[in-house]
Amino acid sequence: MAWRWLQSHTGKVRHIGDSATPDWYARRALLRAAVFDQDPGQWTRQPAVATSVTVGALVDVRADSLVVDTDRGTEFFALSPTTMTWLGASTSPSALRFGDPLVIRHRTPNPDLPEQRVAERIWARIGRVSGTIVEAYGREFLVDMHGQGRQHVVVPPAASRQIQVRFPRLAPGYLIDVIGTRHRDHLLAVTPATAQPPYHAGHSPVPPMVNGHVVMPVSGSAVWHEPDGEPPGLLGLGYPAIDPESGTELVGGTGCVRLPYLSLGTEVRIRNECSERAAMLPVTSEGVIARQFCDRCVKCGTSPKGRVADLTIAAFVELGGNLEDGCFNATLTTRTG
Amino acid sequence: MNDVSVLAAAREIQVPLLAAVLITGCAAKAAYLLGTRTVGGRPGPTATFPLGSRRPAATALCVIELALGAALLLTATLAWASPAALAVRVAVALLFGTGAGALWVLRARRPDAGCGCFGELSTTPVGWRVIMRAVLLCAAALPLIDAPPLHMPASAAQAWLTLGVIVGEVAVIMALSPEISQLLLRLSHADPCEVREVPIARTQSALHASAIWRRYRQFLVTTDAADIWREGCWRFLVYPGMLSSRPVEVVFAVHLAGRGTPVRVGVLDTGANLTEGPLRLSSPVLEKPKNKE
Repeated sequence: MAWRWLQSHTGKVRHIGDSATPDWYARRALLRAAVFDQDPGQWTRQPAVATSVTVGALVDVRADSLVVDTDRGTEFFALSPTTMTWLGASTSPSALRFGDPLVIRHRTPNPDLPEQRVAERIWARIGRVSGTIVEAYGREFLVDMHGQGRQHVVVPPAASRQIQVRFPRLAPGYLIDVIGTRHRDHLLAVTPATAQPPYHAGHSPVPPMVNGHVVMPVSGSAVWHEPDGEPPGLLGLGYPAIDPESGTELVGGTGCVRLPYLSLGTEVRIRNECSERAAMLPVTSEGVIARQFCDRCVKCGTSPKGRVADLTIAAFVELGGNLEDGCFNATLTTRTG
Repeated sequence: MNDVSVLAAAREIQVPLLAAVLITGCAAKAAYLLGTRTVGGRPGPTATFPLGSRRPAATALCVIELALGAALLLTATLAWASPAALAVRVAVALLFGTGAGALWVLRARRPDAGCGCFGELSTTPVGWRVIMRAVLLCAAALPLIDAPPLHMPASAAQAWLTLGVIVGEVAVIMALSPEISQLLLRLSHADPCEVREVPIARTQSALHASAIWRRYRQFLVTTDAADIWREGCWRFLVYPGMLSSRPVEVVFAVHLAGRGTPVRVGVLDTGANLTEGPLRLSSPVLEKPKNKE
């Protein structure tokens, strides 16, 4: 069964595969190594490979297992009593339907039998819309995702109060960031992903001036985004400060975190401070949305303001993030100097 | 020179001084309004307004300052008894008096907020210096109400006296202005290379002017870069080349700190198995800067 992510955009944001192949960008690491004769230390590590996350579409739910169609073929995941299932809220696996897009975090109880995997968490039909409200009709909104097309968001009465507490200005020109379940032509929002910034879209505060070089690592919030022309299982991130000389139009500045300019394909080290998991990930897209939000993550403590990475779904889950939380406190390290 | 002549000179110069303060304040506010359009984090007394009213209030204050500053200058040569001149000068005194009161309230209600008097420069929390400045400007505007029309100094001595009073008053205003330190910081600040926008053309110029480029150019098949990317302070430029009859890629790394910055080079065998890591045909070479910034 051929499967795809439900979301479909007319993307304008450049991704790693738009004008060159991932191999092209991976080659840059070799070229860089040919120039610098220093010990690269942590940068010698190979890019992260997904070991605990699978993205696919549901084929069948059995009493004790899931059958999922992925880009590697049909895969099986055992279910346990502790398996958490999310479909707008906590539910049981039996609520899942054929064709539902799934994100599964799994573990392998026996390292000698890597094919025997147990699902720890399952997210079904999960989606996220971050961007600027361009039209509002009651509890329905049209949201411009800054170069990633426009999305139709519906806020059901049951979630309206919860979302309005965090997003009091649901009016054109203001930012919105909600998580919900994907339906054919809209996202049914069930929870706010952050608190609404108190400024109009495109006018986030200017980052403070710094004397000397940017000190690594940089702390902030790491969020996730739905695939927009990217392979669903891609491990990578959208980076807010792409070199403007590479054609990026930095509308609204580079966000409220002062980050070094990088190009697509550059590797950075991202660490989830809540789960204490870290990985080397390539910059696979422009973090256009991340630049817009000058917010904090309060998943474990309070992060400094600003988003340092907009991770792909697979990368976010691989690093121990829970998609319904929307973010985790993160530190980002780049090669600079 | 007696005390009376000093006071008379001080009274006469208030028109251009206060007009300059008002117009400068308006210009700084306008630049901030047009530049950021934030509705929540705007400094100044408007921070105590309801969210939706802050931007209109800040815009109105800016327009009032510009109008009063221009009107002060236009009515400077009119006698104080002229209704137009009198109205403008009373309005200026009221504006500064109201400003002093608003800053007092702002300090009590929002101790973290800047006064916003000079836009983005006025983000320092309101303190006694800023309040004293508003009080001083109000006090300077009060004797202006019955000041005679502005005229050129009658003698050189009077001109020097006027200049001295201007310098003294400007010095007092500057001493009461936290914006001055912010301005000096901005003027002396240069972004570090990793966050500085550097055109590719400038990088190519720096590369072409380097000794390493002259040494390796003979190995290049073309001088059109096959790939260009940036990592913080370094920009990498890759060119196809031939070395010992083998196809290679010559990669130059140019530091972006400024003129005379380091340029490094490496050569990668394009026929090598990429999974085994880079096969270097020559050791990386570093061109040391002659006059590194």
